[in-house]
Amino acid sequence: MTVKHSERRYSEVTGRAVLYAILIIVAIYYLIPLAIMISTSFRDMNDIRFGHLIDLPSSLSLEAWRMAWSEVQIGARRQLGLRPYFINSLLITIPAVTISVIVGALNGYVLSFWRFKGSNIFFALLLFGCFLPFQAILLPQATVLGKIGLSGTIPGLILTHVVYGVAFTTLFYRNYYVSLPGELVKAAQLDGAGFWRIFWRIILPLSTPITVVAVIWQFTQIWNDFLFGVAFSSPRSQPVTVGLNNMVNSSTGEVRYNVDMAGAIIAALPTLAVYIIAGKYFVRGLTAGSVKG
Amino acid sequence: MANLHIDNVHKSFGDTHILKGINMDIADGEFIILVGPSGCGKSTLMNCIAGLEQATTGRIIIEDEDVTEAMPKDRDIAMVFQSYALYPNMNVWKNIAFGLEIRKMPKDEIASTVERVADLLQIRPLLKRKPSQLSGGQRQRVAMGRALARDPKIFLFDEPLSNLDAKLRVEMRTEIKKLHQRLKTTIVYVTHDQIEAMTLANRIAVMKDGMIQQFGSPQEVYDEPVNLFVAGFMGSPSMNFIRCKVMEHQGEAHIRMEVDGKDYNLPIPKQEQAVRQRIGQTVILGIRPEQITHVIPQQDAGPNMASVDGKIIVTEPTGADTLTLIRMNDQEVNCRVHPREAKEPGETMTFMINMDKAIFFDPETEDRII
Ligand SMILES: Nc1ncnc2c1ncn2[C@@H]1O[C@H](COP(=O)(O)OP(=O)(O)OP(=O)(O)O)[C@@H](O)[C@H]1O
Ligand SMILES: [Mg+2]
Repeated sequence: MTVKHSERRYSEVTGRAVLYAILIIVAIYYLIPLAIMISTSFRDMNDIRFGHLIDLPSSLSLEAWRMAWSEVQIGARRQLGLRPYFINSLLITIPAVTISVIVGALNGYVLSFWRFKGSNIFFALLLFGCFLPFQAILLPQATVLGKIGLSGTIPGLILTHVVYGVAFTTLFYRNYYVSLPGELVKAAQLDGAGFWRIFWRIILPLSTPITVVAVIWQFTQIWNDFLFGVAFSSPRSQPVTVGLNNMVNSSTGEVRYNVDMAGAIIAALPTLAVYIIAGKYFVRGLTAGSVKG
Repeated sequence: MANLHIDNVHKSFGDTHILKGINMDIADGEFIILVGPSGCGKSTLMNCIAGLEQATTGRIIIEDEDVTEAMPKDRDIAMVFQSYALYPNMNVWKNIAFGLEIRKMPKDEIASTVERVADLLQIRPLLKRKPSQLSGGQRQRVAMGRALARDPKIFLFDEPLSNLDAKLRVEMRTEIKKLHQRLKTTIVYVTHDQIEAMTLANRIAVMKDGMIQQFGSPQEVYDEPVNLFVAGFMGSPSMNFIRCKVMEHQGEAHIRMEVDGKDYNLPIPKQEQAVRQRIGQTVILGIRPEQITHVIPQQDAGPNMASVDGKIIVTEPTGADTLTLIRMNDQEVNCRVHPREAKEPGETMTFMINMDKAIFFDPETEDRII
């Protein structure tokens, strides 16, 4: 009895150790490139030129960050650095995330609590949107944007991201809401509340976890998007991903690794920030939405 | 305050028919108890009355106004949900006040209403808590409070006391009864509790498989059940059903009953004319346990009194009475005797049967023989 018992304990402990070892190795594997990027971004060019390509900075230099942010000549653009692109990205991402999340929440609310004839078909069609590859909608969307006069503009990009993102946000919210008891809405109806009041007073306050999920998802999708950003923008409305690409590709002469790395980190910083701020909710929200979905 | 007419209401979810033609005429101020086995459609009927489910066909009329198509909020109904349905994001106070705020009650009036209801339901110390911080019974009382805070035309209560401890349940039952006597609001109330049903109801509706089996006063439903189902459903312990034959004995119809090897002829009351004519046929005798007792000297003389000697199989003391199991016509029969009179299992004692209270059912149709 006791032998068996301790054996089981022993095997449990080794299992755990192996698990942790694997997790640590994987974590290192993923973190090394990031570490190298960060370290390179703080080195100066001389350091890189005469030392190893991969090394710790001999002195902390913010030069590369300044260059990437506001001094590098990108393409033929008059304004220097990634800053204008970064601002474009903000101008695209913030409204697009906001609108697609609100529309998704409303869609989910209707599809869960105010079913209508054909609402299931409607939902199935929306789901179809989630499986649609980006490439498939490039040409039609370009035509549409041209027809409504939004080609190459920031509103055009916002519209594109909203349309594409609503499928996902609707899916998130709908799956979360069907796990809420339907009697809540019934009780509120008897209390005299209407469609909007129930949404604002009862449903939305319960939606924090899934809203965090939807915001993170949409923010990373839209911020990191390159394809739409390249296809539907003009030089004046290009997002930071396109800017970064142009910066790396348009540098003449020697490759300025430190500037490239700093630029890449700048471009990735907002998504990183969103994850760190809301990540705890993200994990919780994903499971909360999926348990009964 | 309002009358309520439910006119041939059917409800199907897809292909499954849940309600199959419900008809009820409920007068202003009546207290209606709805009972029936789990899954028979009680909650569905409540939802149809409240407008939370659209009846497939049929009409709902409240206060002489057809509300079949009306929105729930326009029907002026307050409901306690079987699942409570408390708003998780609001504390108890807000939960109760929500409906009042929407209906634009002045602030100070809301406050006094919430406090009155909280006192009534003994949840005053809980007003600041969220539903997740409450026990099941506390949540149920909050659900109750949310309804009682309003002054609607009709109250719908779906098993509102099911989760309370025995003492609290009795207290709340009394409070509800007092409240009804004071407000005279029409109430439809679902319960699985026999005592609740008997004590609260003006009339009881017994439901089975989406149909109303019987709708009458508690005494009617208890004493004059229309069929085997109602007879078996109402009353605890439930009525004894004994298959037996109607036989002629000394020129009169009697029930032939064999108890532990000895044959008895039990009288059939005069009012059961239809049964008396079924000589030679098998019927089901329904008799409640309290009608089979130990011999009580002054009462054993009536024309419809009979006595049999039965061997006791099992006894179950309940405190007030002892339930005693014997066999009649080889079927188990529960009798209710005084604890002092009850003999031990294996012993034989004489039981007195009050055939005046016996009722008879057709074994084929299971309806009462009339
Ligand atoms: N939305 C629905 N879709 C399909 N079937 C349903 C739906 N709601 C209820 N039912 C079915 O209708 C039947 C009646 O349900 P209902 O909730 O009215 O029963 P009930 O009499 O209240 O039972 P209980 O005493 O257990 O509360 C059940 O068989 C249930 O499965
Ligand atoms: Mg029910």
